[in-house]
Amino acid sequence: RSSSSSSSSSFDFMSYIITKAESVNKALDSSVPLREPLKIHEAMRYSLLAGGKRVRPVLCIAACELVGGDESVAMPAACAVEMIHTMSLIHDDLPCMDNDDLRRGKPTNHKVYGDDVAVLAGDALLSLAFEHLASATSSEVSPVRVVRAVGELAKAIGTEGLVAGQVVDISSEGLDLNDVGLDHLEFIHLHKTAALLEASAVLGAIVGGGSDDEIERLRKFARCIGLLFQVVDDILDVTKSSQELGKTAGKDLIADKLTYPKIMGLEKSREFAEKLNREARDQLLGFDSDKVAPLLALANYIANRQN
Amino acid sequence: SSSSSSNFDLKTYWGTLMTEINQKLDEAIPVKYPAGIYESMRYSVLAQGAKRAPPVMCVAACELFGGDRLAAFPTACALEMVHAASLIHDDLPCMDDDPVRRGKPSNHTVYGSDIAILAGDALFPLAFQHIVSHTPPDLVPRATILRVIAEIARTVGSTGMAAGQFVDLEGGPFPPSFVQEKKFGAMAECSAVCGGLLGGATDHELETLRRYGRAVGMLYQVVDDDKKTDGAIQMAQELKNKAKKELQLFDDDDDKYSEELVVPLHTFVDYAAHRHFLLPL
Repeated sequence: RSSSSSSSSSFDFMSYIITKAESVNKALDSSVPLREPLKIHEAMRYSLLAGGKRVRPVLCIAACELVGGDESVAMPAACAVEMIHTMSLIHDDLPCMDNDDLRRGKPTNHKVYGDDVAVLAGDALLSLAFEHLASATSSEVSPVRVVRAVGELAKAIGTEGLVAGQVVDISSEGLDLNDVGLDHLEFIHLHKTAALLEASAVLGAIVGGGSDDEIERLRKFARCIGLLFQVVDDILDVTKSSQELGKTAGKDLIADKLTYPKIMGLEKSREFAEKLNREARDQLLGFDSDKVAPLLALANYIANRQN
Repeated sequence: SSSSSSNFDLKTYWGTLMTEINQKLDEAIPVKYPAGIYESMRYSVLAQGAKRAPPVMCVAACELFGGDRLAAFPTACALEMVHAASLIHDDLPCMDDDPVRRGKPSNHTVYGSDIAILAGDALFPLAFQHIVSHTPPDLVPRATILRVIAEIARTVGSTGMAAGQFVDLEGGPFPPSFVQEKKFGAMAECSAVCGGLLGGATDHELETLRRYGRAVGMLYQVVDDDKKTDGAIQMAQELKNKAKKELQLFDDDDDKYSEELVVPLHTFVDYAAHRHFLLPL
């Protein structure tokens, strides 16, 4: 692993992701103009423009560039995946769901605008994602590819994606470890976290003009880093202090959440994380070695993050 | 052409399409793991008493321009899915707080608010997925599919039905017709326009369908409303005239539009205004 990380060390990932996130933020800002009814558009903008690392849109753009497309070609798709991510956070935070008051250090959408507006703002972001992808994607991209991208995005949200993950997660609280196993945990994370990351990479590859083989390799890459993200998150929750994390440590244990360390132990969880990182990187073999630098660095960033 | 509408049997026409739409919707949502969410979606989409007005209007508009109804069916089903999704969310305790829908407990009453929100969230994308995966590529160009998707997305979004629901709940500096137009007119407008798109209508024809559909949707709601004030009766009359006037474009050119294909669109207006038959439910 040391040999591969040295090749990407010359690549400045932090400045890459910051530059890309800035153009994503600009595009998101103009994708939701403030119009009547003002409050619902304010609520959409409040959560969509609240910051966040923009991992999904950056992954979408990086995948597009890897297969030879321009950033501008991927931008509507990149905005669409971030709109979907945001709408799922708004709905997950609602009192009848996870009941969270804070998100990224700010009051959650329904705390500021009320539950009714939060439901509608989420619905509106969901539909805007499709409207934006379908009508703002450059005419350089063939309609066949845009239609395929729409299908992939839709699949990542519903009962084969985000919604399935959230449903199983909700119904898992308080379940005995003996009743559920690794498959159950993996189902939740593959749907709640990996599905939209997968769609982000796949959409980028589709609109960027990738071949079927390239699209499928980027799909596997994103699935691996999606699971990796969750395994690392679970490890950090038991190994780091609240101060180091910037959020409450040990929260998963207290909430009786299923985690990888709980099911397979800390050491095995670390080995699993390494395996996922390796599998992710394997998918990028055969691509141009200069062009894969951002995605390799993204995988390392997710694997080695400390908070 | 309105004289020939007496030979046209709307009840049979509508009933036949309803049966087909119901069957396709049933197939579109098979129960898989996790079963609860699929059952919740099916509960609302396949509810007894749904009149399937949006799909029927979509098919009729498609056929008016010589389109094959097979081209319209996937979008027709999608319209019912997004319609069901927005009704599920509108009924939630934090919204209209309706425990009952069409004489049955509303979705959240049966499945809980959390599942009801997620069922809606799953039905919106399922609608788009259904159009993409089921529309025959030999009948509809992909560019048209993208226009249909954008049309539906805009209709349910922050300037369409979500806007209507918002103003209905929270008020604001909007005329009373705003809620009627956005909350009730938008779905019929979208149905007519999508049908036209799939049938290959020109932009001018689409704009006519847009105004026609909006008027029919608002008319249906005004007549459905219990308040039979003079204002409501006058508004219903105006909406009926407006919808009929838009159809003149299709009445006047017998060479271009087959008379028998314009008739269904006329009868939707009459039905919205008078409800002169009961649908087989």
